[in-house]
Amino acid sequence: MGLKLENVSKKFIGKQAVDNISFEVDKPGVFGLLGTNGAGKTTTIRMLLGIIKKDTGEITWNGKKVERKNVNFGYLPEERGVYPKTKIYDQLLYFAKLKGMNKNDADEAIKKWAKVLKVEEYLPMPAEKLSKGNQQKIQFMTSIIHNPELIVLDEPFSGLDPVNTEILKSVIIELVKQGKYIIMSSHQMASIEEFCTDILILNKGKTVLQGNLKEIKDTYKANRIEIIANRNIDDYIKEYNMNIEFSKNNEYTIKIDSEENANKLLEKLVADKISITKFEIKKPTLNDIFIEKVG
Amino acid sequence: MKDLKTVIGFTIKEMAKRKSFVISTIIIVLIIIIGFNIPNIIKLFNGDNSSSGTQNKLLVVDSSNLFEGSLDTLNTMDLGYEVQTTKEALTFDDIKQQIDNEQIDEAIIVENNERTYKLRYIVKDMTMMNSMPQDLMDSINTIYTNLQISKLGLTEEQIQSLAPNFEYSIEQTEEQKVSGNLFAMMMLSIVLFYAIYFCAYQVSSSITTEKTSKIMETLVTSTSPRIIVLGKTIGIGLVGLLQVCLFVIIALISAKVFLEPGILESVLDMSQMTPYLAIITIVYFILGYSTYALLYALTGSTVGKPEDIQSANTPVAILAVIGFYLSYFTMMNPTSDLNLFAALFPISSPFCMPFRVMMGIASGGEVALSLVILVVTILIVAKVAIKIYSNAILNYGTKMSVRDMIKVYRDKNS
Repeated sequence: MGLKLENVSKKFIGKQAVDNISFEVDKPGVFGLLGTNGAGKTTTIRMLLGIIKKDTGEITWNGKKVERKNVNFGYLPEERGVYPKTKIYDQLLYFAKLKGMNKNDADEAIKKWAKVLKVEEYLPMPAEKLSKGNQQKIQFMTSIIHNPELIVLDEPFSGLDPVNTEILKSVIIELVKQGKYIIMSSHQMASIEEFCTDILILNKGKTVLQGNLKEIKDTYKANRIEIIANRNIDDYIKEYNMNIEFSKNNEYTIKIDSEENANKLLEKLVADKISITKFEIKKPTLNDIFIEKVG
Repeated sequence: MKDLKTVIGFTIKEMAKRKSFVISTIIIVLIIIIGFNIPNIIKLFNGDNSSSGTQNKLLVVDSSNLFEGSLDTLNTMDLGYEVQTTKEALTFDDIKQQIDNEQIDEAIIVENNERTYKLRYIVKDMTMMNSMPQDLMDSINTIYTNLQISKLGLTEEQIQSLAPNFEYSIEQTEEQKVSGNLFAMMMLSIVLFYAIYFCAYQVSSSITTEKTSKIMETLVTSTSPRIIVLGKTIGIGLVGLLQVCLFVIIALISAKVFLEPGILESVLDMSQMTPYLAIITIVYFILGYSTYALLYALTGSTVGKPEDIQSANTPVAILAVIGFYLSYFTMMNPTSDLNLFAALFPISSPFCMPFRVMMGIASGGEVALSLVILVVTILIVAKVAIKIYSNAILNYGTKMSVRDMIKVYRDKNS
């Protein structure tokens, strides 16, 4: 059950945009769809939403073929857009009606989500009077107002201030709790790591990595350590042939080639009675993995 | 169907709330009202207030007694003057003083210079006129002629035989009967062109606005491109039709309220304004609008930036102008084959066929054939426009070329 893409391809005039990709989102949660610019993410999203037709392969939702007319997914596109001269309430009502809601249900949903996202005061205003961040929250409302089972969020946090980012994060967490399937595409790897259980990385239309994020990271060896000492330890690091990636006020991030070497460094520091308040051997971040795969 | 209704409703609301739409509607309504008041305005500035009951005081100075007191009959000629005559030898300065004192509004001094007679028309200022009013001159000439004829000692019958009693008529050598007048036909054609062209242009403008404001992606996930194109076309068309109806109603009311009886009939042949013509005009407005609106939907969807809209729309504008002029110039010769072609050719038939119907030269078969051609054209244009629109609206790059459009249309998966 859930969303399933099997051997899906799409070619535009002179360009293979998506090349034989397959993945499955079989349980509620957040699925990360990653890739560089032009990797084929947007084309994949448009195909799974039924906006454009695939050339080959199969896309199903709960076992049924996905076509524009038989799905009612939510979508927050990367390209933010609102009707600038139209009142926020009117445009939300318009989209809610297009998504099959009656006026009363739409009105109730608009008021509910406006309260949650703290945009109630903007409902009677034309969109052009709102800040970019608030316009983005309005568009996010458009994508979830009809209570869809699957929601596609393309760069949901770009352009939001920390306060609004936290509001949006809490809504996403709440949606997952309600059993929603969410596909998130973002260049903010920290956000993907925070939310996603499974990921897929695309490069030039092809899948270069996919699977459970934790399992993927487990296959990688530790590649850096973080140390906070009470004095400068540059000489010790050089002695063990390690490279300093970052250092400031005796806080270090150091690249390592083996955990054994890192432990030897720790033993040496302790033996020389250097006070260590933090010593953490770290696995590669999603950012490291992403750069390794597509960089 | 529900989505179509929603898109139509939203489009109508958006259009009707647009400042540019409201302002242009108000301006056109004012122009219509002012237009129908032009005769009244001219009268006001010419000092002819006969309709309001206050007549201008005109003093005729006939010191040489050329008219032998017969000028008093001017008062019976409904010229809008209260005429006083005098045989006193008043000078220009005397008249000026009387006008300044508002004793009179204007004056005529009759001067007898032995062989010629000079009539000096004296007014307060010449801002709104450059000669004596034609009806006043005609009346004075008639009075003088009658005076001289009466001195010839002719019998009543002889006098009557001098007055022309001609009956004028017009006939044609062409077998096809043509009626109505060209002015009304041309007006109808021009009004139809502007109504169709500007309403259709709004479709392109609306689509480009949605595309450039990036709302399109949200919109196409909410409903199908076919519904969007049709909903917009119908919505804007309905607003346009209502706007045109409003202008016609305002014009009819203005004609009734502001024009003196008979003036409109003297310019337009009202016998041609039949319910059949009204229905034909509305039908051709709808079909003509649909053709051009769908073409504009196609071109509007191919641009990614607002500055590209003019160049993208140029081919459709050229088609519309060719269609209009083909219709307009062949009106001079309505029984020609070229005019019949214009009435059947889909880009010109919306502007031409109502004209032929008004002229009374369009047969039922011609109207039916023209309608079939137009409807088939609309179906073909709709199919192509919706297919290209569906693919082009998500293209935010450079404007699509004709070659790209053909490729998109031929691509069976797109």
